[in-house]
Amino acid sequence: MRLRLVTYSSLTALILLALAQSASAQALDISSGGLPTITGTVGGSVTGSSDVTNDLVVTVNFGEVSPLNTNSIVKVIVPVALRSNQPYQVAVSVSGLNNANPQALQASDIGFGIQNIRLLGGAGKICTQSTHVVQSPFNNDPATSATVGSNGRVTYPSSLGNLFGSTIVLSGPILSKNNSSKRQQSDGYVFDAVFTVSPQFFAAGVSSATLIFSISPGPNVPC
Amino acid sequence: MPLHTNKLILLTALLLFPALTCVAQSTSGTVSMSATVSKFVEINSGGSVTLTGNSGGGVTTDGVNNSPLAVSINLGELGPSNTNSFVTAQVPLKLRSNAAYVLSMSATVTSSGTSASRIGAADVGFGLGTISRTGVGVASGSDTNATSGDPTLAANGSVNGTTGRYEFTAVRSNLSAFSSATTALSGPIIMNAVPRSNANGLSVPAFFAVKPQFFENGTTTISVTFTVTAP
Repeated sequence: MRLRLVTYSSLTALILLALAQSASAQALDISSGGLPTITGTVGGSVTGSSDVTNDLVVTVNFGEVSPLNTNSIVKVIVPVALRSNQPYQVAVSVSGLNNANPQALQASDIGFGIQNIRLLGGAGKICTQSTHVVQSPFNNDPATSATVGSNGRVTYPSSLGNLFGSTIVLSGPILSKNNSSKRQQSDGYVFDAVFTVSPQFFAAGVSSATLIFSISPGPNVPC
Repeated sequence: MPLHTNKLILLTALLLFPALTCVAQSTSGTVSMSATVSKFVEINSGGSVTLTGNSGGGVTTDGVNNSPLAVSINLGELGPSNTNSFVTAQVPLKLRSNAAYVLSMSATVTSSGTSASRIGAADVGFGLGTISRTGVGVASGSDTNATSGDPTLAANGSVNGTTGRYEFTAVRSNLSAFSSATTALSGPIIMNAVPRSNANGLSVPAFFAVKPQFFENGTTTISVTFTVTAP
């Protein structure tokens, strides 16, 4: 009887300890920043969570990007929420897009920009000595900055072709006012990751890619 | 501490665990992407029709570059009162594709005449001219012209020594070879990865020709349909 009592007490203590550790260990957080949207698509879709306390798990189907799609551009906006109690940086890596045919969809054919950094839920740490910096060349809306190159192909100031390994796209000072142990509906920042594809005479086929957004301690800038 | 109290604490902790972990923080997230490029081919007008050697007649509905192909031509008089050697209509075509293509054609010729001297499909010469792949965004490639080219060329027809009737004798040089959909041209991918707004493409003229002769009098209607596919 006494042994059982000790066992239950120990297990309870261990579980509570584990909870406390897992809840306070994370000083940096990345999550859904809201419902993603898609425009200009034919047969495409985007799925993600509108709840900013959910993980960032987004599936984008650009749909048809041959000339069968008569829209000038397919545009996807993915809001991404960030929380931190220290300076941070956001990096992005891409994998899986490796068409050997140069006329097929390439990483450089998918425009990628960072836009519209704003407070999450209207609340977050407002620093006066440092700003949130979108790293060059990603500070643009690829839907409005796309141009046609000398070879006739649409080009972007920044695209997935600018991602080499894990590429830092954003950095800045502390994001959150409170040192909450779990995700809040507010108290952080949101940015829009903008992706575009301009329908073209790409070589026929199906292409896919996976992007990983990660947040880590950034340069020690003052708040 | 009573045993049932311990159980209660443990149970509460176990229930609380998933509730807390569902809002636990994470340092990474994923965006998965996919896109589809289907085979695409199109045929449009390559520009204005050129009608020569006609007596009367004219281009009723002209071609407009990069617009859907829908031209209408009145070849005019095809009896001996037209003293030109041929009445020829040159119809520019423009093809574009992101895959290998096949251009086929089918034609029907109907005449109000009833005798063997009425205008028939074999009396309407046909051929595709010089194929041009030029301009930004157009891929290089070697195309196969299944016709014999301009049907008015001396090598493509002559007067039948027995009947005296002029005949288009070369391979696929008249519309009788196209009574059903028949390949006229084929080749590899035409366009590089450029937007549809790029106006370039593969250009080729389609020649139609009739030699004015002592045909049975009457009216004749020639209907031609071009179809491009990506097999």
